Amino acid sequence: MPSGALLFQSVVLGLLLGGLYALLAAGLTLYFGIMRVVMIAHSAFLILAAYLAWWWHERLGLDPLLSMVVTVPLFFAAGVLLQRMLLARLRPATLTMMSVLLTFAVAVLIEGLLGYAFTGTQRRIQLDYGSAGFGLFGARIAVVKLIAFGLAGIALAGLYLVLKRTRFGWALRATIQHPDAARLVGIDTERIAGYGFGIGLATAAVGGTALALDTTIYPSLHWHWIGPLMAIIVVGGLGSVPGAAAAAMLLGLLQSLLQIPMGTTWAQTVFYLALFATLAFRPQGFFGGRLAQRF
Amino acid sequence: MPSVSSRLTGGAAVLLLATGLLSFPGLAPNPYVLSAGIVVLHYAVLATSWNFVGGFTGYLSLGHGALAGLGGYGTGLLVTKAGLNSFVALALAMLLVSALAVPIGMAALRVRGASFVIVSIALVLILLLVFQSWASLTGGSRGLVVPRPFDLSRPEHHRVFWFLFSGLLALALLAWWLIDRSRFGLGLKAIREDEDKAEALGTPTFAYKLVVFVVSAAFTALAGGLYALWFGDLDPVFQFSVLTGSYLVLMALLGGVRNLFGPLVGALVVGVALEYFKVEFGNTPLHLVATGVLLALVVLFMPDGVLPAAGSLLRRLRPAGEQASIRDVTAAELRERRRAEEVRR
Repeated sequence: MPSGALLFQSVVLGLLLGGLYALLAAGLTLYFGIMRVVMIAHSAFLILAAYLAWWWHERLGLDPLLSMVVTVPLFFAAGVLLQRMLLARLRPATLTMMSVLLTFAVAVLIEGLLGYAFTGTQRRIQLDYGSAGFGLFGARIAVVKLIAFGLAGIALAGLYLVLKRTRFGWALRATIQHPDAARLVGIDTERIAGYGFGIGLATAAVGGTALALDTTIYPSLHWHWIGPLMAIIVVGGLGSVPGAAAAAMLLGLLQSLLQIPMGTTWAQTVFYLALFATLAFRPQGFFGGRLAQRF
Repeated sequence: MPSVSSRLTGGAAVLLLATGLLSFPGLAPNPYVLSAGIVVLHYAVLATSWNFVGGFTGYLSLGHGALAGLGGYGTGLLVTKAGLNSFVALALAMLLVSALAVPIGMAALRVRGASFVIVSIALVLILLLVFQSWASLTGGSRGLVVPRPFDLSRPEHHRVFWFLFSGLLALALLAWWLIDRSRFGLGLKAIREDEDKAEALGTPTFAYKLVVFVVSAAFTALAGGLYALWFGDLDPVFQFSVLTGSYLVLMALLGGVRNLFGPLVGALVVGVALEYFKVEFGNTPLHLVATGVLLALVVLFMPDGVLPAAGSLLRRLRPAGEQASIRDVTAAELRERRRAEEVRR
């Protein structure tokens, strides 16, 4: 039986990790809501943002957090372009399948370009506050992990406010709920869908910067993220942001706790087991999600 | 009924394929070319096996690389750990993978489209994890050495396996052709065009999808196992690579998923290009870039493949009277046409 302090440490780490998962899953949920698109390239953009943060720190000597000033607008624009120029061109009848292939192609392309530009060497940001931490009831919490969680929390709260309180957010939610009705009340659904993709990709920029703070990165790392993220959105019920957030926290916590008896590698299998169990027993997900019937 | 001319084209294609398969080992100038040819042929078998699911039902799997890897490792482990005869092990591995495909298919096929792709990718990732970590059984990252089934010189070994792969390809093509003409195949194609309508008309959609998925898994496992016996060395990173699955999709889409020989043609083009790339540029990240760009181009501009595009070009050149009165029209094409008519009105 592990000691209480170790358990508490795992719970805290699991919650901190779950926050990052929740932010990234929110982006994936947004894409799926808008266009029924499973965006495989989401985690590739995540790693791209992490590389840009690393490069920013390495070459310019500035704090990696400041790189978001550039990457967030850049990723927003990339998301709009991706939706307008590529995904909107696909035939509606085969959109779901073909969009998976297209975003898969984008993911492979990004991985290849990252490998070409930065080589396959593993990279890590060395920060002065990288090893700083503080004790809390016997658990030790690294400052960088707390910053990452804070970033994810702020981005999620911002996303929530945009969706619930702004006219743009209403238009976006209307587009997700019923595109035809949204068009009837005068919403330019195509433009809104493009902006929705932009916002989704902007969350990947925030997540990538948070990731870069305390993780060793390499070009093919995105495969380690896309599996868990897809499991989270399926367990959460595709298309439901609160569902995805709840599933993210739960699975992040489980992963962290299972690392004690099983080790880091085997603990990852919890995501895949949850994915298979959800699809086999409750394909609409465990946290609502009306859209899931048709995915 | 197929028209006389399309029958002639089909017969000519079979004849061409048989001649090519039988004569290539004699024509290959050196063992390297023959071994590269076997790699391409192996891709052709895999792409044809993939097309049982992708072509008939329209469910695109990115995880067929994992099924091939399972076939390979299954065969290899049964030979090395259980001491079975190579080809008994191959058959047993095929049965095991088919049995495993049942629960996987049940989880993946209960709901539509997107979840199938998600499961197929997850399958590759989880198997990579398991086969790398479970080093006591699989050898982990050090790899698994599979003993050769015959005591032959290297060129002779290649020659024998060329014909084994040829036989498997012929078997897979025959099975696809038979399903294509059957009632079962009609049901599967109905699922591809409109699953709700197919179900409403009484097609047992779930059972059909599951059966064809298991058939596809069986052929994929055979190809993977045969590859293990030929190559003799398995590494989890290459066996359980998402990239393999994407190559197969690229090949099948490029050649045309509705066509018997589509995946084969695609495998010839992509497979030869891959081998050429390996020789010219080695293992750089650029092959990832090339794969990504090519896949995106095919998905965006040629989702029906090269063969249908060439076919429609030929049809346009012929006089109008010779065109078949009934031909396959996809639900998507029909919808486009109706929309165009509505706009005109």
